[in-house]
Amino acid sequence: MSIIKRAFLYVARKRGKTILLFAILLIMATFVLTGLSIWKASEAAQLNLRQSLGGKFDIYVDWENSPYVVKEIIKDNEFDEETGKTSNSFLIYSTVQLTPEEIAAINSVPGVKYSSARYDVLARFDNLSLFPGTVSVAENLQHRTKVFGVCGTETDELFTTGTLTLTEGRHITSEDQSVAIISGDLAEKNELHIGDYITTHIYNPEDDDFTGEEMQVQIIGLFTPNVTEQLGETVTTFDKIQNRIFMDLQTSIKINNDEINYGFSAVNVTIDDPQNMKQVVSAVKNLPVIDWNAFTIEIDNEVYEKAAAPLTTLNELVVTLLVVIIVVSAIILALILTLWTKTRIHEIGVFLSVGIWKSAVIGQYLTEVLLIAVFAFGLSYFTSDAVAGQIGNHLLEQSVQVEQEDNSSSTPSAVDVGADTLIQKPLPTENGIQVSVEPDSLALFYLIGFAIIIVAVSISSITVMRLKPREILSKMS
Amino acid sequence: MPTLKLQNISYSYEKGKSILSNINAELEAGKLYAILGPSGSGKTTLLSLLGGLDAPTKGEVLFDGENIAAKGLEYHRRNHISLIFQSYNLIDYMTPIENVRLTAKQDAVPILERLGLKKDEISRNVLKLSGGQQQRVAIARALASDNPIILADEPTGNLDEDTAMEITAVLKESAHTFGKCVVVVTHSGEVAKQADVVLEIKRGHLKERNTQ
Repeated sequence: MSIIKRAFLYVARKRGKTILLFAILLIMATFVLTGLSIWKASEAAQLNLRQSLGGKFDIYVDWENSPYVVKEIIKDNEFDEETGKTSNSFLIYSTVQLTPEEIAAINSVPGVKYSSARYDVLARFDNLSLFPGTVSVAENLQHRTKVFGVCGTETDELFTTGTLTLTEGRHITSEDQSVAIISGDLAEKNELHIGDYITTHIYNPEDDDFTGEEMQVQIIGLFTPNVTEQLGETVTTFDKIQNRIFMDLQTSIKINNDEINYGFSAVNVTIDDPQNMKQVVSAVKNLPVIDWNAFTIEIDNEVYEKAAAPLTTLNELVVTLLVVIIVVSAIILALILTLWTKTRIHEIGVFLSVGIWKSAVIGQYLTEVLLIAVFAFGLSYFTSDAVAGQIGNHLLEQSVQVEQEDNSSSTPSAVDVGADTLIQKPLPTENGIQVSVEPDSLALFYLIGFAIIIVAVSISSITVMRLKPREILSKMS
Repeated sequence: MPTLKLQNISYSYEKGKSILSNINAELEAGKLYAILGPSGSGKTTLLSLLGGLDAPTKGEVLFDGENIAAKGLEYHRRNHISLIFQSYNLIDYMTPIENVRLTAKQDAVPILERLGLKKDEISRNVLKLSGGQQQRVAIARALASDNPIILADEPTGNLDEDTAMEITAVLKESAHTFGKCVVVVTHSGEVAKQADVVLEIKRGHLKERNTQ
């Protein structure tokens, strides 16, 4: 008679034990499968979070250590009549800056999603009516607005974060010259359209105004802000988001009549996966085109880490629980099976006396448990599905609370690369995780469950299998 | 050539107490052997050595001239030996026919019927059979395995006198009709009377008793 038939007969005829073992395995399976499903959901949520938030680091001029930093005195011992004090004015800049070519090299590093860098200038445009701010500024600044010189607008942080959306036309690219993107509101206010030109003049340092050579810049796109100012918010005219103008880098430098700057002093790099931060930063540091005597890198993984912290805590908690559940399940199962094996000593003796091998006896015991487990594990799919979501989100809530308590005193720090407070940062996903028992979790659990059973049956069989047939037969009598 | 041969067999427990000492015997097919002796004399130990359930401290057990340890005791038990016990030792979650089929190398039903079990009895729970019927199932299991040697340890110990005689007759038939070498360990003089050869263990030595 085959092992499977013997096992089937035992399971079918010893109904009490079968039902008890079925219940034990079902409870064990529900716990493990629930844990597995929460773990997988947490992993998936972390992956989503990583992909949606990305990781960031800043490359900027090392103002303290770079040998290329120059400090020029503009006004020496200038007397201030109001304060009655003398002061010096300095111009500090780096002779080595990040060029569009170097930024392209950074973008080509595997794992880098995009880079965002800006050169900003407060410029005045002819016949351009601006939206008024809520704060008064010096007279010479009243008709100026902030111009961002960029390599491309598609990768600019205001657009990548969704603070601004290009609603008409196209983005500025690194090949463009004398082009601009303005807000749709500003275009409407001034009856401007895609293809129209706005006029400015090159900055004239002699009268500290844009009175130099005329320059015409073509509008190639219109954006719409997705943020609205709060009532009573203080904002200058040039900082008002509807007044912002994006331009290609060279044009913005030219308008500013800037003989010092030819590139960017800082760039904000966004990577695909914050988990790969070290590798990506290392690869960027190995780029030969960048003179690393001039620049330094600061990692800004805080947004991701803060958002992911509850999920990481949940993950650690679930993994710990899973290990404990698996070990405890194996121990409990082994103890129960050991007790039952001892009550089956008579049967073992009979099997051995009729020439059935010990391995075949263990094989039968294993098959019996596996037969029951197949059904118990199958049913656990439904029991786990019923409780996994609730347990998972309860554990996540606990993790969120723990993280909030831990981080209540910390404040974010970041390097200013021209971005501003208008940037709408994606919010962490604290609204719960979608836990459901997936077929692949069930398949993985079948493997884990069968491994637990094999270990438990092996442990439970040790004592009996060590005995000689005669010892077993004498125990029988 | 004898089916089983005991050659200078000795057996001692680990503590050094000698149970069997320098035993020599030849057991042939087609005969019923009875082993007699007082309690603790080593009858069951001798049966265990014949059945490969244990190994002698000294000497050899030969099957068809070959040491049973050569191919392993498990192989000997599986291919040469059928054991019958005083307490029947049937598997309680199997019917009589399933118990016989555990090791059957031939159709189990005719054997069970020949040993007096009715059709409805062979599919019944073994625990619902009488002691005599359970022992018949155990004998049927031994016969169906086709192994040449049947070793029985007090097979009639739990049975009334009439049933004991019936079982003894079945064992005798197994030897004479089926050509098995049947060795019965017993306290019963009645069983011994039915045996072709009676062996007696005294103080660790085995002697053949004259049955005439």
